[in-house]
Amino acid sequence: MLVQLKGGRVIDPANNRDAVGDVYVENGRIVEKPAGRKPDEVHDVSGKIVMAGAIDVHSHIAGTNVTLGRQLMPELPLIAAAEGQPILPSTAAWGAYATGLRYAEMGYTTVIEPAMIPTHAIQAHKEMASIPVIDVAGLVVLGNDDYTLNLLRKGKAKSDELKDYVAWTLAHSKALGLKVINAGGSEAFKFNARTFDLDEEVPEYGVTSRGIVEAMQKVVADLGVPHPPHVHTNNLGIAGNVETAVATLEATQGHPIHLAHIQFYGYGNEGDKGFSSGAPALMEAINKHKNATVDVGQVLFGQTVTISGDILRQFDGRRAANPKKWVINQAEGNGTGVVPYNYKRKSFVNALQWAIGLEIFLLADDLWRVLFSTDHPNGALFTRYPEIFHLLMDRDERARWFDSLPEASRQVSGLAGISRELTLSELAIITRAAPAKVLGMTDRGHLAPGAVADVAVYTDQKNKTKMFAAADLVFKSGNVVVRKGTVVDVTWGHCFHVDPGFDSQINKRVCSFYDTYYGADPSWFGVTETVSDHPDRFATIRCAS
Amino acid sequence: MDSALDRAADLLAQARLPVFGGLFTDVNGAAAALALAQKLGGVIDHAASSGTSKAARVMRETGSTPASLGEVRNRADTVVLIGDGPRERDSKLLEKLFPAKSLPRPGDNKRELIVIRAKKGKTPKGVRTMELDGKHALPDLVALLGAAARELPFEVRDAALAKKVLSAGKRLRESAFVVFVYDPAELEEPVLHTVLETVRHLVKSTRAATLSMSAPGNGDGVNLCSIWTCGLPMRTSFAGGAPENNMWAFEAERLLKSGEADALVWIDALDGAEASPPTRAFRGIPAVVLSSKPVKAGRDDVVIEVGAAAADHDAEIYLPPIAGIGVVKASSGASKKPTVADVLKEIGALIDKKGAA
Ligand SMILES: [Zn+2]
Repeated sequence: MLVQLKGGRVIDPANNRDAVGDVYVENGRIVEKPAGRKPDEVHDVSGKIVMAGAIDVHSHIAGTNVTLGRQLMPELPLIAAAEGQPILPSTAAWGAYATGLRYAEMGYTTVIEPAMIPTHAIQAHKEMASIPVIDVAGLVVLGNDDYTLNLLRKGKAKSDELKDYVAWTLAHSKALGLKVINAGGSEAFKFNARTFDLDEEVPEYGVTSRGIVEAMQKVVADLGVPHPPHVHTNNLGIAGNVETAVATLEATQGHPIHLAHIQFYGYGNEGDKGFSSGAPALMEAINKHKNATVDVGQVLFGQTVTISGDILRQFDGRRAANPKKWVINQAEGNGTGVVPYNYKRKSFVNALQWAIGLEIFLLADDLWRVLFSTDHPNGALFTRYPEIFHLLMDRDERARWFDSLPEASRQVSGLAGISRELTLSELAIITRAAPAKVLGMTDRGHLAPGAVADVAVYTDQKNKTKMFAAADLVFKSGNVVVRKGTVVDVTWGHCFHVDPGFDSQINKRVCSFYDTYYGADPSWFGVTETVSDHPDRFATIRCAS
Repeated sequence: MDSALDRAADLLAQARLPVFGGLFTDVNGAAAALALAQKLGGVIDHAASSGTSKAARVMRETGSTPASLGEVRNRADTVVLIGDGPRERDSKLLEKLFPAKSLPRPGDNKRELIVIRAKKGKTPKGVRTMELDGKHALPDLVALLGAAARELPFEVRDAALAKKVLSAGKRLRESAFVVFVYDPAELEEPVLHTVLETVRHLVKSTRAATLSMSAPGNGDGVNLCSIWTCGLPMRTSFAGGAPENNMWAFEAERLLKSGEADALVWIDALDGAEASPPTRAFRGIPAVVLSSKPVKAGRDDVVIEVGAAAADHDAEIYLPPIAGIGVVKASSGASKKPTVADVLKEIGALIDKKGAA
């Protein structure tokens, strides 16, 4: 069936398109206008904005850690709704099913879960398979696990085996890429370290955080995995940590890297309160290091819960828990910390965090490398993305918010001096085209013929919050799944992963390791097609080598 | 078989408040039960949910500090074993907690075991063991140890015990990684709170955690599936549309005894484990029984034979060695018996069809 989206303003920055025109869809793909054929179905979208479906590069939507968060804070959607946040006042609102529907209603069609635990990959995939409509993928976490650290042991690094081990882990957990969270820091925590810097050594293993990240960059490049290592660096959330972020960028030596939720590293330590915006310094470094991409991790005011494999940081953060309860889960590899948090407009620090995130977007030379995220739910719930789009696209809206901040925060923030407003094309870059490119998902994020027919149609209006909260029309793989902001067809998407080759010897070694130290068999946590009962659930993204 | 499914669909479609109990099944079975309970406005409860429910409530109130079995066996220098529950759940527990070979461990202490109010059992070789019991009840002993760990004053008549408690408290403070091991089904909530408080005090200066024994019958796997599906653990009702959790109100046995429930879906289909049906459950209240074992059911009950998860078909269930959900291959090869998920989905489809007709 040939479908025509007729007469909309098509915003497709990947193909330099911003013009009124048509988009054609057939068999789940975007197609050229077929000569001499009448469409079977025409959607008149004149006066509307037509974009590719949005792609979220970093959102904690599934797996052990997220479900720990649900256990600790079942009341999260109730508190958030009571505060006026756009979320249903039901515990089910942050269950798997509601997650898929709400994302789709906003025009999102692909979401990446950025922290699958290798031994718990089955749970992550089970949860992802219960999320309807959207396509998903998971990044698997290594870098604090004893197998990796043993291979990187100072003076005895075995980089070939590390390459096999990373490939084995990616394949075994059906992951799209590799995540590294506070490299070495979680392991150091196990030896009772409570801070951990880029050049500190992991006890017993002697390798530094820098060394782990460098090794992983090399391995991922050698394997040809399209998505570079997705790195959560040391010293998250600490005043003065912009130095760590800049040093991490310097250390990359031109190799590709993706730095996650960079807002949480945009902090200087100047001023009376010892906390200031590091955004200008950070953006200078990011603008310069063209090998690096980042997602922002924007903060919004209100109740949320922070969920992170950076156990060292979360342990410290427990003191700020609001409500006063927290989980520290000590496990293989990273472990998890879950700490409820309420970002307050009246807090000097929170107000500045909010402003720093926006500064980062607005100071970017190249938005293809500065991707949208709130690190859901850590900075803000994903249901609030439209408010942030509004802030980025409308300086009056920004000023309105800014004026309500504490005087002390306003005085030290450079945000008021920035008049930039993101255009629709720029928004499409940070929410569509750039995430697709960084993830190596070449068939999406744009509307060229051959792309998967994930399309979102919005009503152009001044109030961008309203505009992006409810898409008029969303196509997922060519099917209409949303009309007037409501899901009308509950479909089931795909899960993307890479499948790099490895020397099968690694299998034996890993089995022996798990048998000796855990009394476990790795086949127990290997992900197979049967993890979901939807046919054709899995699709492979090709590695370069 | 088909007529049994039809009868099951009729029975459930007419029910005002169906309860899904037993739930000794794999994650797929749990997901299907949750979906059907949501469709029918029913209640879900696992037959071994007493421990997970208490733990869930404590966690919701004040948090939790879990450690995985792997972390404990590789890194704990002090294990505090509370009560008989843990070794009743796993007779080889101590061997697992004190393996011959382990990963690099924090601190220089020799490994040590502190046993609180438990029957004498084999203790691991080369591990110093201290027993705290005397005439005191378990909750008192846990509280005494907690006080000693925090260096709070306490009085007990039994001077020998007092000395041991003080020494144990000192040991906890000087440990590099203390782990309290218990079965939440055995302990009351105040004791769980005391343990948690002690851990939260210890982590100010060292590493500490809890290792909670998993529930029988894939109780933890089913519980997790419920949480990612509707945000809430076992003992949740969908009767009001939005899910509601209440550990007392939505306990399956209570709902059956009080007559609030008017239908029961009883699921017992896990290899090597048996869910004992609620007393009197099969009398008086019409039941749909999905079982992999021979069943003594009432005349009006609908009994459907299903495969045993992990024997007749591969099963995703909670596995303590990885502290999470893993897959167990079918032990007895390919079986033609339907799974719990197959049957419940079919019943759901039949109910939809009848509703539409
Ligand atoms: Zn994150």
